[in-house]
Amino acid sequence: MKMTTFCKRMIKTFSTLFLSFMICISMFFLSGCAGKPASGTSTDNDSEANAVTEDEAVRNAVDFNHALDDYQPKKDHYSFYFTYKTVHPWWDAVALGMEDAQRQFHDKGITVTYEYMAPNGASAVDQIQRLARAEEGGFDVIGVDVADENVISPILDKMVDEGYKVMTFSSSDASEECKRIAYVGNTHNYQDGADLTEALCKKLDYKGKVAVLVGSVGAPCHEDRARGARDTFAKYKDMEVVAVEYDMDSVDKAHDLTMKILEEYPDLDGIVCCNMSNPVGAARAITEKGSKTVIVGMDHDKEALHYLRDGVIYCLGVQDCYSMGFDTIDIAVKIADGNMPGELFEEKTNEITTIIYQKDAEAMLEILYGELS
Amino acid sequence: MMKKSGISKKTFVMTATIGSVLIMASLIVLSFLASRQTISATNDAVSQVSSFYLEAMADRRAKTITNLIENNFDYMQRAIDILEDEDIKTQEELRDSIGMMKTLLSLSRFALVDEDNIVYTQYTTYTGGSRHEFLLQEKMDKRSISTVSIYGSSKQLCLAIPVHFKALGKNFKACFVQIDIKDIVDLLAFDDPGRTNYGLYSKSGENLSGTELGPVIGPHNLLDTLKKYVSDNVWHGIIDDFINDKEGSLTFVSDGAEESLSYVPVPEMGWELVVLIRESVIHDQIREISDKNLAISKFQIIFTLVLMFVFATILLLQLRKIAKNKIEAEQEHSRNLHSMANTDSMTGVRNKHAYLAKEAEFNAKIKGKEIDKLAVVVCDINGLKHVNDTLGHEAGDQLIKDASAMICDHFTHGSVFRTGGDEFVVLLQDRGYDEMTEVVETFNQETEAHISEDKVVVSIGYSMLTEGDKQLSDVFARADQMMYERKKELKSMGAKTRD
Repeated sequence: MKMTTFCKRMIKTFSTLFLSFMICISMFFLSGCAGKPASGTSTDNDSEANAVTEDEAVRNAVDFNHALDDYQPKKDHYSFYFTYKTVHPWWDAVALGMEDAQRQFHDKGITVTYEYMAPNGASAVDQIQRLARAEEGGFDVIGVDVADENVISPILDKMVDEGYKVMTFSSSDASEECKRIAYVGNTHNYQDGADLTEALCKKLDYKGKVAVLVGSVGAPCHEDRARGARDTFAKYKDMEVVAVEYDMDSVDKAHDLTMKILEEYPDLDGIVCCNMSNPVGAARAITEKGSKTVIVGMDHDKEALHYLRDGVIYCLGVQDCYSMGFDTIDIAVKIADGNMPGELFEEKTNEITTIIYQKDAEAMLEILYGELS
Repeated sequence: MMKKSGISKKTFVMTATIGSVLIMASLIVLSFLASRQTISATNDAVSQVSSFYLEAMADRRAKTITNLIENNFDYMQRAIDILEDEDIKTQEELRDSIGMMKTLLSLSRFALVDEDNIVYTQYTTYTGGSRHEFLLQEKMDKRSISTVSIYGSSKQLCLAIPVHFKALGKNFKACFVQIDIKDIVDLLAFDDPGRTNYGLYSKSGENLSGTELGPVIGPHNLLDTLKKYVSDNVWHGIIDDFINDKEGSLTFVSDGAEESLSYVPVPEMGWELVVLIRESVIHDQIREISDKNLAISKFQIIFTLVLMFVFATILLLQLRKIAKNKIEAEQEHSRNLHSMANTDSMTGVRNKHAYLAKEAEFNAKIKGKEIDKLAVVVCDINGLKHVNDTLGHEAGDQLIKDASAMICDHFTHGSVFRTGGDEFVVLLQDRGYDEMTEVVETFNQETEAHISEDKVVVSIGYSMLTEGDKQLSDVFARADQMMYERKKELKSMGAKTRD
């Protein structure tokens, strides 16, 4: 009797032990002998969303996502001639928009060839000579970035009268009465100058000595911005304009002029820069001098954007050069087909200017130059 | 003896149990340790292999870039050789020729530059002084490699060679191609299934290709980003390497993941080619192999354990069967002993011992008023002594057997006990009780018939349990009295008696 109980107990104990052991083994193998390193990365969606919102205005400053509309060109080959004020990176940006439009026409089976020419220094006389040669080139459309509206506008009128299809583009339109067919570019240069100047005045608390750097003499865009600046300063009695200088679209000259002004007025509080070369030259000068002069200026020069990022330049007015170039080719094709401003395109196609500040510089450097810090 | 045997079995089972547990535990612990050792050894090997692997890969890819550049220079020279032999008279012819060269030699943005820095491409002619850095040189007398940062576009590699070519009345001084740097990186990664990251960087760590160097560096400035992950000494060392066109490699940890990175300068370019791979990628590749081996080992262990389990189960079952057989044998033996103690060996009916046990049982029931139908039949063999004396004990024994058989034959629904030499008692309940009168009558008739036939004669008396009875002996006494009366009666009929 004792033996029976003992045997039963032993069998039960042994079975329980064995079963528990098997369960442990199963769990051991199921859990795996080796732990894999946890990987993974953490993302802050809210921060990303906020960043996108903040960058939105900056990212819209230049529209690189253009597509041709559904207009069907009448020919399969177009030839254009464009002349602009001076060899300068600003117009290289316009050229990239043109090349994109050319590629898109090419994809549609339409060949667009063009010349895109400028002198090394802005010159109305040079522009007249180029236009005269263009007249002989058999181009479908001749586009002009007007070097001097008073000089060039009559030339354009004459060309139109002679049957040439003439348009203006990029920075400077001809005079209001000019017969050119259409203009694609900045239509608010005066306001750009006024807006930058207003930002400067506010920064200086509406008092101080200021200078105005302009680009080429007679260049409508530069002159209009300078006029906008002067008119804005005139609104505030404590703002004193001590100098107005022209750098003729040369960074080196802008630098030299700024140095000269700073030597004459070491207590200079601010500079309004009306073209692309002005702010670069001015920023180099005040950096050399160690001056605290506040700079406001135009355009998207990479060096200027670096100065903006580093706080040397206070703000920059960035024009949508890419759209100017793209729309110029798009509208040139329509003009070549005999279309006039109306439903297909406007007589003045306005391209935007966005004023950006130090906080926007990184994003703009990324957008325009793919530069990531 | 019994005690000694029990301890021995217990020891055996305990030893078997503990032994099995120890063997299995040892097996698991050893497997686990072996697995850990394998993983540790794998990690060490991965670290060594990854650096070597990356350096070799970076070298190969840098040579790919060098070859690409050299090929483009060769193609440009070939294109110029062809153009020099052509009689180009118009700008359209020049554009067509440029387009043909582009297509034939797969040149990206192939262009010619005249002495006035006017650039001629397949579709455009433009003043390029501000757009192409190499045109800033006053005199171009050797090939030029420059990195171009283009507004709104990815960075490009510009390769230019001086040419002395005349067409359209102009002297051409250079030709160039521009290649998207991102395309170069894509080319480097074309045969990689996305496990390795490639990037091209300037000496200042600026990302030239715009590609992402893994999730940690991303598209950002390499040197700025690395500062967060390496010590100052290491970081300054990398900066020096970049500035001085040196190669190197490092490993850093981000979010618990190890990243291995190698960089090599690309000759003449001022670039550093960087190759990065997550150690986890190499780990994964090696772990894949390791996992397969581990799975096989696991299978082997599980298979062994299952075998052990089956074996142990069989042993247990056998042990149980042995124990069961032993228990049954013991029970049978016990039953036999019990039966022997309660059975009359001569007649096979229960004996006096059994009757006494039964009497005790009935007494308890009578006392507890648990029984109402109970009758006792007392039987006595007539003339047993006479037979023994005259015919011998064998004949006497036979007489007893005959009497027992006769009693059993009639009282088939009762319990028959041999309580003395010639005395039997039948206890009747239920059906036996109900049929008692008829059975007694039949029995008596047969007995009476036996007198003349000289067969066994049995006197019986019976009595039933009444309310006044306190124990079985009370019933027995009445039956016994009746039996004596019957004995006298049978004697009068000629039956032999003791007297």
